[in-house]
Amino acid sequence: METLRLEIVTPDGQIFADDIKTVTLPGSEGEFGVLPHHASLVSLLQTGIIDIELVNGDHELVAIDWGHAEVDETKVTVLADGAVAIVGENESAIAQSISKAKQLIESISDSDIAIAMAEAKIDLILKQRKY
Amino acid sequence: MANLKEIKRKIKSVENTKKTTRAMKLVSTAKLRRAEMAARKSRVYAQKINEVLSDIAQKINQYKIGGIDSRYFDLKDTIDKVDIVFVTADKGLCGGFNIQTIKQVQLLMKEYKDKKIKVRLRAVGRKGVDFFRFQGVELLSSYVGVSSSPDYEKAQEIINEAIADFENGVTDKVILIHNGYKNMISQELKVVDIVPIEEPKSTDSVSLSLMELEPAEDETILNSLMKKYFEYNMYYALIDSLAAEHSARMQAMDNATNNASERVHKLTLAYNKARQESITTELIEIISGVESMK
Repeated sequence: METLRLEIVTPDGQIFADDIKTVTLPGSEGEFGVLPHHASLVSLLQTGIIDIELVNGDHELVAIDWGHAEVDETKVTVLADGAVAIVGENESAIAQSISKAKQLIESISDSDIAIAMAEAKIDLILKQRKY
Repeated sequence: MANLKEIKRKIKSVENTKKTTRAMKLVSTAKLRRAEMAARKSRVYAQKINEVLSDIAQKINQYKIGGIDSRYFDLKDTIDKVDIVFVTADKGLCGGFNIQTIKQVQLLMKEYKDKKIKVRLRAVGRKGVDFFRFQGVELLSSYVGVSSSPDYEKAQEIINEAIADFENGVTDKVILIHNGYKNMISQELKVVDIVPIEEPKSTDSVSLSLMELEPAEDETILNSLMKKYFEYNMYYALIDSLAAEHSARMQAMDNATNNASERVHKLTLAYNKARQESITTELIEIISGVESMK
């Protein structure tokens, strides 16, 4: 199976770096998905959720406030100002990271729509997850 | 006897120095830990943003994407004026840390002068500022107090001045020099051409397809990305330099402490010898006194 290299970095360090199946990014012109062999692209990102599908089929979420994405055939590089990965060993850790992510989004975005969209997205994917 | 006293005084003074250098070493060790953490955290970001920009530079030059202000990417051969932004520490007592940077700056200045290219200097950090002032070299602008406590807004201010001149065509190149952190015991001089943005050195890992920009209608995305690139490079240079400064000082002070210990050891030997000597002389005096009484 072909994979894509995804790296998410912020001034506070690297948030994510792994080979993945596909990723959905919150572009400023709308959300877009990236699969291997995607055409080269540089896009502005807006406040939202990056939805990553890992090689094993699981989903991982990362909330970002603002940034840029560089896409080419084999790799995706996301340069974000702030990012919070929604991960955790158990439910309370996950809940904690979710509230952090929501804080991050609310702190930067003044549009209620963006906040609502991001929150809805988190809820949706968490429901699809099996714990 | 005077000799004995003198040696004793010397030992005391060296011991005091040793205490100071030891304390400075400990302070630097503690500060280094924090500064190193900050530098390490931001290193990945700095690397990535440079990679992304050089990828873009490569594509823009390859495809001559129109509409973009290509001045930022135009690697022309003839340049008339260069800005050198360099970062030194505000304080000394850190071995060759500052002088390494200064030497590199002088070397570059000479190189450019030989090519009849004008060089302007923008100095960050008191040591660099003082050095070039003393030499009578004109500094275009100088910033003191930033190196010891880097913050993003200051970095923005410094680099944006240089970039504004570049954008207006006053200068053709901006170089950023700082002495960076390599590991606990060594520093590494870093010379980066900020603009024009360089293409990647090896092209094997680079995708060669045409790149699209989104939003496509204007240059906002490139402009915002480049702004970030300039500012972050400057900011990173400040953080990295601070970490390197502390590691250099830690090492210098460690050496100084060791030297002081050695010196105390030698002086103590000399002191004991002198004491023994004076005792022997006294004994001889007494004995010869007794002998003469007989």
